Amino acid sequence: MDPSALNSPDLQRFLNQEKEKAMVNEMVAKLTSVCWDKCITSTPGNKFSSSESACLSNCAQRFMDMTMIIMKRVQSMQET
Amino acid sequence: MDSFSTGSSGTGPPQFSTDEFMDQMKVQLAQAYAQEFLETVREKCFEKCITKPGSSLSGSESSCVPRCVDRYIEATGIVGRALLTSRSNS
Repeated sequence: MDPSALNSPDLQRFLNQEKEKAMVNEMVAKLTSVCWDKCITSTPGNKFSSSESACLSNCAQRFMDMTMIIMKRVQSMQET
Repeated sequence: MDSFSTGSSGTGPPQFSTDEFMDQMKVQLAQAYAQEFLETVREKCFEKCITKPGSSLSGSESSCVPRCVDRYIEATGIVGRALLTSRSNS
């Protein structure tokens, strides 16, 4: 690849987008793994029970809530 | 990931366009994501479906696996959507 092409704004924008997509993908994958373990306790059936799908959705949201709490806590520890 | 192939058949240093590079990168990223997903599903479904490995897969074990794959894909969707909702609220 012609090295000067590395500076192209198109490429920079593309790389930033792909980096963001990769981070989102990793978050979803990690969360699905964690929440699957927490919520799907029996042998998988032909569909999720309503409690299983509620659990998965809640799990993801509570995980994000917890992330916020942790960040705020660490931030306040650094400020004192 | 594999190193990127070059499009040149000439004798100079390898040259290809930014567009080609981006296209190749998209393909390789998609392959990497698919690979990672496959490995996760395999691990999760082995854990859920094959509780007591025997000398061959039982009927219930064999039918559990595709159901498990479907459920894991569904779970990924549920979690993904829940994340979108919480991101827009934060």
